Amino acid sequence: MRKFLSGPWVLLLPTLIILTCVVLLPLLLSLWTSFTPFKLTKPDTLYRFVGFRNYERLIGDIDFWVAFGRTVLFLAIALNLELVFGLGIALLINKITYGQRTLRTLMMFPMMFSPILVGFQWKYIFNDNIGLLNNFLREFGVIQPIPWLVDGVLANISIMAAEIWSSTSVFAILLLAGLLGIPKDPLEAARVDGCNSWQVFKNITLPFLMPFVFIAMTIRSLDVARAYDIVQMMTGGGPAKRTELLWTLISRTGYVDAKMGMANAMSYISIFLSIAFTFFFFYKLMQSRQQLSYE
Amino acid sequence: MLRLFLSLILAATFFGSFSAKAETELWGDFSGVTLRVKLIGGGQYEGLYNEVIPWWEENTGGKIEIVTQKNHFELDKEIKKDIASGNLDFCVASNHTSFASQYGDIYTDLNDIMPASVLADYTPLILDHSTVNGRLVQMPRHSDVSNLYYQKSLYENADNKANFKAEYGYELTPPETWDQVKDQSIFFSNPPDFYGTQYVGKEEAIAGRFYELVIANGGALFDEDYRPIFNSDAGVEALQWFIDLYNAKAVPEGVLNYLWDDTGLGFASGTIAMNLDWAGWAGFFNDPENSKVAGDIGLVRAPMGSGGLRTGWSGSHSFSMTESCPDKEAAASFLWALTSNKAQMIEARGGLSPTRPAIWDAIIAEKKAEGDEFMLMVFETFKMSLAEDAFTPPLIPEWIEFTNALYPELQAAILGDKSPEDALATASKKATEIMEDAGYF
Repeated sequence: MRKFLSGPWVLLLPTLIILTCVVLLPLLLSLWTSFTPFKLTKPDTLYRFVGFRNYERLIGDIDFWVAFGRTVLFLAIALNLELVFGLGIALLINKITYGQRTLRTLMMFPMMFSPILVGFQWKYIFNDNIGLLNNFLREFGVIQPIPWLVDGVLANISIMAAEIWSSTSVFAILLLAGLLGIPKDPLEAARVDGCNSWQVFKNITLPFLMPFVFIAMTIRSLDVARAYDIVQMMTGGGPAKRTELLWTLISRTGYVDAKMGMANAMSYISIFLSIAFTFFFFYKLMQSRQQLSYE
Repeated sequence: MLRLFLSLILAATFFGSFSAKAETELWGDFSGVTLRVKLIGGGQYEGLYNEVIPWWEENTGGKIEIVTQKNHFELDKEIKKDIASGNLDFCVASNHTSFASQYGDIYTDLNDIMPASVLADYTPLILDHSTVNGRLVQMPRHSDVSNLYYQKSLYENADNKANFKAEYGYELTPPETWDQVKDQSIFFSNPPDFYGTQYVGKEEAIAGRFYELVIANGGALFDEDYRPIFNSDAGVEALQWFIDLYNAKAVPEGVLNYLWDDTGLGFASGTIAMNLDWAGWAGFFNDPENSKVAGDIGLVRAPMGSGGLRTGWSGSHSFSMTESCPDKEAAASFLWALTSNKAQMIEARGGLSPTRPAIWDAIIAEKKAEGDEFMLMVFETFKMSLAEDAFTPPLIPEWIEFTNALYPELQAAILGDKSPEDALATASKKATEIMEDAGYF
């Protein structure tokens, strides 16, 4: 007991209390609700324990698993494309000697828009009737309007385009920070030894950048796995669930249908997705750091 | 009897412009009282608050604090969260007849608060629709039903008349049935420049449109025990109507992402021949500043389905008072003010349909006096439609949840992912689960 009341624990106590109040208790409460038929409009249902009924229903709910699978696919494609574009932008800006600061600021503009605004903006761009893109294409002879937000593949690509436009700069900024931190000596030594640009990039720049890549991947995977605003604004998960992601489904279940118990059960299953991605990227981060230290 | 009613005055109406029957007014001295209110926001709703709130504050000495002002779907979410957290620290909130039954007993039974003479000023049927489990939980603000707007010049064009008759074998006149709407929409369409019609394509909106067509075709959504019965001939026929128009490209291809603003702005853009829409759009459609079809608009009552009934999905925007409100007298007075003759006349001038018979007479008289033929046609059409065609959706707490189960299946059938029968069978199965969970059977 005396040990617990000694210096370090007493100093940690405020943090522990705050974390318990703002993180642990809400988590426990939401976990509890996932074992109840809790409806927002019927607060009494919070106290009715139904065991694993919500989870059992979800296991057999094909709509949920399709949304789960689509979220994984969406995450994988969006993250990789953001990485490629972000890396490209960072490499280009790193080469610039004049106006780099201005460009770095400009690059962050998309991040400054609220996701809801981004959703509205891209919904208008992709509108089949009055949208900018179809009207632009008409000028080039594409007479039949393309149903960007209706066709299953095109609608997902459209949403991905909005997501990538809005967040590629996160990758670019982090990777640019990595590029600026790379020591010049190995780069110069490689060039003296006759390496071409690709060899320098592949064998020196990229290994140095990999920790930054995995940090960016971890941050963005958590963001994208929770993608909601942009999707909700552009398609609302439709039409016919063609763009339904986990969080559009969870939000509708929890706040519109008011079935918060079921929505929280969905959330707890989806948390495994985020944990899996985070674990994978941290594992890769450790590996890349170890590799760097060996070299 | 509440203190308020000591100040209840049977006053002569304050409208100089018409002589409707005397209105019962609910004033009182509410100095020092502040009412916290949560209101629906948006262009067509906020004008009322700008006029009525200062008027009420000036006459009562009370104050209004607007806590929230947002669109109805966001407000609905907020109130559900308030119920869950037990944080009902407001007195008055916007409501809707389609939403009210979800909120349990958080709202006061106004039968116990409002004098019978006040309630007598409203249309009795609308008060019925505002009643949940025998409790009058809302004062109706304005009612909604949809009628068919169309571009008049298309029907006056001699070539159109001749070509249509040659192709379909009957005269081109504004449609009386939904089959005629389909024929004429296909006839007028010239995608991607011009479409015969359009429909709202998602969420409660398309579910409501499907519902009214099922009724018009002689079907129903539920039986007496609330077992789903829309997977029927009437249901399949209704869904097939949406599918046929979509496949014929008689509606824009992105229509399944459309909600009310999209269809309203679409008609105003001049690229749509016919548009089933609410009364509140009439002024906008006929305003040359906003609309390319201004001056060229006709309006007919919503057409009939195969069952000989007209579509008439209807509901009323309203205001409710919480049970937890500490100043119920003041809140009752404010509810009255928000739905009073003065308030309803303000909204009627913008094209909204009043819930007081006296205001129908007043606005029609006013438009006649002004010689505003268009708005006169609008009010006369909507008055008849609300009296003869209007019906509400099932006033049950599960309505929104049910529509969320139904609409993706309707969309799947329209897009050809499923047959109408398969889509309705799946929706019916989900609806059965919802109603079972809710304890209906």
